[in-house]
Amino acid sequence: MSEILIKNASVCDPAQGINCETMDICIRDGKIVDSVSENAKVIDAEGKLTMAGGFDGHTHSAGKINVGRFMNPNDAKKNLVPGLSGQVARTEKTRAQVGYNTPNTYAIGYRYAKLGYTTICEAAIPLLAARHTHEEFKEIPILDKMGLSLFGSNWQVMEYIRDKEPEKLAAYIAWGLKASRGYGVKIVNPGGGEAWGWGKNVSGLYDPVPNFDVTPAEILMGLAEANERLQLPHSVHVHCNNLGKPGNYATTIETMKLFEKVKPSRDRQSLHVTHVQFNAYAGTSWRDFETGAPMVADYVNGADHMTFDLGQVIFGPAMTMTADGPVEYANARMLHEKWSNQDIELEDASGVVPLFYSPKSFVNAVQWAIGLELALLVKDPWKVMFTTDSPNGGSFVNYPEAFTYLMSEKRRAEVISGFSKMALDRMVLPGIDRELDFYELAVMTRSTQSKMYSMPEKGNLKVGSDADIAIYDILPGHVDPSTEYAKVKKAFSGAAYTFKNGEIVVKDGEIEETPKGKTYWVNAKVPENIDTAMQKDIDRKFRKYYTVSKANYMVEDMYLQKPVEIGTEGVF
Amino acid sequence: MQVVKLSLKKANKIPIEADNANPDNFAGKTAEEIGAIPVWYGNGQCPLGDLFNVEVEGSGSVENTKIVFEGDVSRVKRIGQNMSAGEIEINGNVDMHCGFGMKGGKVVINGDADSWLGCEMAGGEIILNGNASYYVGSGYRGESCGMRGGKITVNGNTKDYLGEHMCGGEILVKGDAGLLPAISNNGGKIVIEGSATMPASEMKNGTVIIKGEVFDLLPSYKEEEGTEEVEGVTYRKFTGDVNVGGKGVLLIK
Ligand SMILES: [Zn+2]
Repeated sequence: MSEILIKNASVCDPAQGINCETMDICIRDGKIVDSVSENAKVIDAEGKLTMAGGFDGHTHSAGKINVGRFMNPNDAKKNLVPGLSGQVARTEKTRAQVGYNTPNTYAIGYRYAKLGYTTICEAAIPLLAARHTHEEFKEIPILDKMGLSLFGSNWQVMEYIRDKEPEKLAAYIAWGLKASRGYGVKIVNPGGGEAWGWGKNVSGLYDPVPNFDVTPAEILMGLAEANERLQLPHSVHVHCNNLGKPGNYATTIETMKLFEKVKPSRDRQSLHVTHVQFNAYAGTSWRDFETGAPMVADYVNGADHMTFDLGQVIFGPAMTMTADGPVEYANARMLHEKWSNQDIELEDASGVVPLFYSPKSFVNAVQWAIGLELALLVKDPWKVMFTTDSPNGGSFVNYPEAFTYLMSEKRRAEVISGFSKMALDRMVLPGIDRELDFYELAVMTRSTQSKMYSMPEKGNLKVGSDADIAIYDILPGHVDPSTEYAKVKKAFSGAAYTFKNGEIVVKDGEIEETPKGKTYWVNAKVPENIDTAMQKDIDRKFRKYYTVSKANYMVEDMYLQKPVEIGTEGVF
Repeated sequence: MQVVKLSLKKANKIPIEADNANPDNFAGKTAEEIGAIPVWYGNGQCPLGDLFNVEVEGSGSVENTKIVFEGDVSRVKRIGQNMSAGEIEINGNVDMHCGFGMKGGKVVINGDADSWLGCEMAGGEIILNGNASYYVGSGYRGESCGMRGGKITVNGNTKDYLGEHMCGGEILVKGDAGLLPAISNNGGKIVIEGSATMPASEMKNGTVIIKGEVFDLLPSYKEEEGTEEVEGVTYRKFTGDVNVGGKGVLLIK
C-alpha cells in the first residue's frame, strides 16, 4: 500500500466547482481517497496551483506521426522550445530524445508529463493500420492512451447506410472498434476519403460519394445513430467537410445543426467537432479570406448538444497529418511542399505535408487569430477543448505559450502588433478583451475532456478518481496572468510535480519515473445473430479486396499495454 | 591572440563528436578549462583532455582565437560546428560535418574532408586543400535549405551531391565534381572548374558555372538560350530546371 498526502495545495478542480481553494489531497494505491494514514509520504504544495493531470483529447502522437518522422528527419534537431524539444541525450532515467513536431515516442511521453499532462487521445487510427498505432503506444511512457478509429469513408459503412441496415452498421462499428482496439468513432471529411480514391473530393454535406450513392450528411447521421445505439462513451468525433477552404464556416455550422436532432445515449454531447479553427473560414477565396469564428461561435453559444476543440495555430514549423487526403494534396500543391499520400484500402485516405505558419503571412495570422477567437467568443468553457491538433497547428510543447494568449490580452496585442493591416482587417481578435482565468483553463484542458469522453476517473480530483495530478509552481491570486504571462508560461512548461497513478513521474520539471501507461478501448456488445450476419458481409470484403486476412487484421490484447476494456451494451 | 593546439593522444577508431571544439567555446580559456569541455566519444561523453593534448598560447576573444588540430583527425566529426568567428586549422584529414552550420570565421583544412563539409553553413569561409567527399554545402536530411551563406573553396575534387538544396553563399571547386551537383538548389552560386555529371537537376534558383566537361546534361536543359560572358569567358546559357519551373542559370562552356 502506498500513500501520499499532498498538503496545502491550491486546488482548481472545475468538476467539483473548486476554484483555487487551499486543501489537502490524499492518495492511496493510485487513487484519490478521503484520508490516509500517518505513514503517508507528505508533499508540501503550499503556494502551488494543483489540478488534475492534463488530458489532450485530440493529438496525433502515434501512427501517422511516423510518416512525418521519415518525411522530415530534420525535425529531429529542431529545438524551438528548449527543454521540451530538440536532441536530448539519454540519462539514467530517460531514453534519448529528438524532435519538435514529430518527436520520438519516448520524448512524447516525457514532454507531455513535464507539461502536467497524463492522458492523450490519438485522433486518427485507420483500422487497417491500428496495430502500428498500438506498437507506438507501447513505447510512449507514462501516459494513459486511447485512440479514435476512422469510419467516415469506409466501404462497409457506406454500404450499410445506403442499404438502410442500421443494426448491421452498429455491429460493424462495434467490430471495428474491437479490431482496432479503439475508443471512439472518428469521421474525417465524410465521404471525401473515398472520393479521393478517384482523384476527387466531396464539396459539401449533400454531394454524393462516387459509386456509393450516399451523401456526407447520410454518413454522419448513420454513424451518429450507430454510435448512440452502442451507447459509446464518446460521441462521434467529426472533422468537417471542406476543411481549410475559405467559406467553409457555413458547412461547419450546417454540420453542427444536423446533429441537433441526434439524441445522445449518455450524459454527454452528441457531437464533437474537431480543430474548428481549420473549419471557421469566411470569404470566397484566399484573396478575400477572413475569419468565420464569430458566426461559428454565435451558433455554438446557442447550442447545447456539442463540444469542439480549437486546433490553435502556433507560428513556426508544423507538420500536417490527416485522413483528409484531398486537403493534403491541395496543401502540397499550394505550398510547393513535400507530400505523402496513402490509400487505406477500403477504409480511408491519408496525407502528410510539412508547413510553416508565419506571422507575416496574412492567411496564417488570421488562422492564428481564429483559434483564439473561438476560445474567447464561446462563452461556456465546458464546450471547448484546448488543442493545437498537434502537430497540425503546431507541436503540443507550445501549449504553455498558447495558454498565455488565452489568459492575457496584452500578450495577444504583442503578437498582433506584428501583423499586417490586411490581416487585422480580416480578424476580430483585437476587439476581444476576455482573458481566461486558471479555472476556465482547467476546464478546457481537463474537465471538458473527462465529460466528453465519459471518463469520470480522469480530469478531476474527486475521491475515487485516478491520482493523475499536476502541481504547478504558480499561485492564482498572487500572479496576474494578464501582465505576468512570462511566469504563467514558465510554470506550465515544467510542472513542480506530475503524479501518474499516484506515482511522482515529474519533479521540478524533470522526469523522475517512467511507468507504463494504460490503453483504453471500448468493447460494445451486439446481439449474436446481428454480429453473425455482419461478419458474412465483411468476410466477403476480406476475400475480394483486402490485402490481409481477417485473422491478421484484428489487434489482439497482447498488443496493448495494460489494456482497460470499457464495456457498453448496444440497444437493438 | 590565442592559439589552441590540439593533438590526439592516440588514433581513435570510435568516432569523436567534437561539436564543442570551436573558437566560441575556447576563447579566453586555459588549457585545463578547454581540456574539461565534454565531447561525445562513441555513446558516452568524456572530457576533451582525455582524448587530446591541449596546448594554449595567449588569450583572446572569439575573433582572435585560432584552433590548430595537428595530425590526422579523420575520426573526429563536427569540428567547428556553429562557430561564429575565429579560425580553425586542421593539418590532416577530417571526418564528417566539419563546419556544420558555421556562421562566421574561417576553417582551413590541409587534408581531405569527409561528407557534409559546410553543411547548412550560413557565413564565414572554408578552404579545403584536398578532396571532399559527398554533400559539400548541402542540407541535413529532409531540410529544404542547405548552405545559406559564406564561401567554400575546394582545391581538389568533390564527390556527389555538391551543394544539394543550397540557397545562398558560394562554392568554388577547382577540380571535378561528381554526380548531380547543385541538385534541388534554390539560390547561391557554384563554380566547378573541372567536370561534372548531370548538374543542376531540380534547381529552382541560383547560378551554376561549369568550366570543364559536362557529362549527361539533363534533357530538361535542352533549350540553349544564347550565351553569357563571365570574366571574359563565353558560356552557353541554360535556364531551369524546367521540371520544377526553375529560374536558375546554368552556364556551360
Ligand atoms: Zn487532428
